Amino acid sequence: MCVGLSAKVVSVNKDTALVDASGARREVSAELLDDLEPGDYVMVHAGVAIAKITPEDEE
Amino acid sequence: MSDHQSLLSNYSGRPLRIMEVCGTHTHEIFRLGIRSLLSKNIELISGPGCPVCVTPPGYIDSAVELALKHHAVIATFGDLIRVPGSEMSLAQARSLGAKLKTVYSPLDAVDFAADNPEKEVVFLAVGFETTTPSACIAVKRAAALGIKNFSLLTANKTMPQAYKALQGSADAFLYPGHVHAIIGTELCEELKNDYGVSGVVAGFTAEAVIKALGMIVEYAQSGEPFCDNAYTSVVKAGGNVAAQQLVNSMMEPCDCVWRGLGEIKGSGMKLKSQWSEFDAVAKFSLTPDDGKCNPICRCGEVLKGICKPCDCPLFGKVCTPINPVGACMVSGEGACSAFYQYGQ
Repeated sequence: MCVGLSAKVVSVNKDTALVDASGARREVSAELLDDLEPGDYVMVHAGVAIAKITPEDEE
Repeated sequence: MSDHQSLLSNYSGRPLRIMEVCGTHTHEIFRLGIRSLLSKNIELISGPGCPVCVTPPGYIDSAVELALKHHAVIATFGDLIRVPGSEMSLAQARSLGAKLKTVYSPLDAVDFAADNPEKEVVFLAVGFETTTPSACIAVKRAAALGIKNFSLLTANKTMPQAYKALQGSADAFLYPGHVHAIIGTELCEELKNDYGVSGVVAGFTAEAVIKALGMIVEYAQSGEPFCDNAYTSVVKAGGNVAAQQLVNSMMEPCDCVWRGLGEIKGSGMKLKSQWSEFDAVAKFSLTPDDGKCNPICRCGEVLKGICKPCDCPLFGKVCTPINPVGACMVSGEGACSAFYQYGQ
């Protein structure tokens, strides 16, 4: 159930974003993430972008 | 072969029991064949992190009542449909006329309600911290659009009390990455410092799971409690603050029954009273109870890591994915389903 889908942000419109997950496009809620921009990668769960995916932090 | 993979295969230290808390981890670990890489001194136990598996029969009874008595359309993630209730599952209720709609997101259920104003639409809000924000966003959107025919039947759960209840079931937890994407990693520190509970936050690819398991084995050598984050690309220390604030503004903790584990104080979330017009229990004056499980089913012990699915007398005989008796066989993420599917 907690499976997430990583997707690339295509466009942002206020609280929603159009994302591309391996070619499948879908509108998702973007209201939990600030400053999303086209080209960002996000983790999408149940139609909501829950986290921005960043390069692995240095350990 | 990576260093971690080699460590996991060649480990010869004291036997380690590692509980993967998340149903998605359970499924991915089987699908990716990770168990076959592990030394016999490393045992993986499947914990209670599949929300479908811990949904009690009384909750299904309420959904069936909403569908058959109040003629509501039940919007739900697909795998809840076959979970047994006390008398019947939603799939069985469908044969008596219940209307079910499978959705990918609660926001899709709001859209469906907007398109069908003559129908009452109830979304079955199960899930952990990962999923609860989406239910809140759905209610907020319905309120903003003036949609009156949408409500939630909440069974949202939170992990902190469950981790404490499961303390001692395993040497370490493989913490669920997407729960901690929301709540952050401070809880892991608190569990380590205050309860001596160990674990590592893990992602979901083969490399991510192997890395997290390898870190657990490395840390466990010291004998001291530990925690770490092996999923830093998604999980930040503070989590998703906007999601936390949204959920805390709309919902409040409640006592909650977990199938197989019983009631865990303060482990559920329900809508606050100002949102009661979106709460199906209040809206339809339901009086939910715990419901009845098949007394022979050992799902509860499977969820606590006390027994394996194949130790249950029903497993693979009476209880199969086609005819599930317990919830762990229903969901593709359930331990019994995974054991059955992958022939363990």
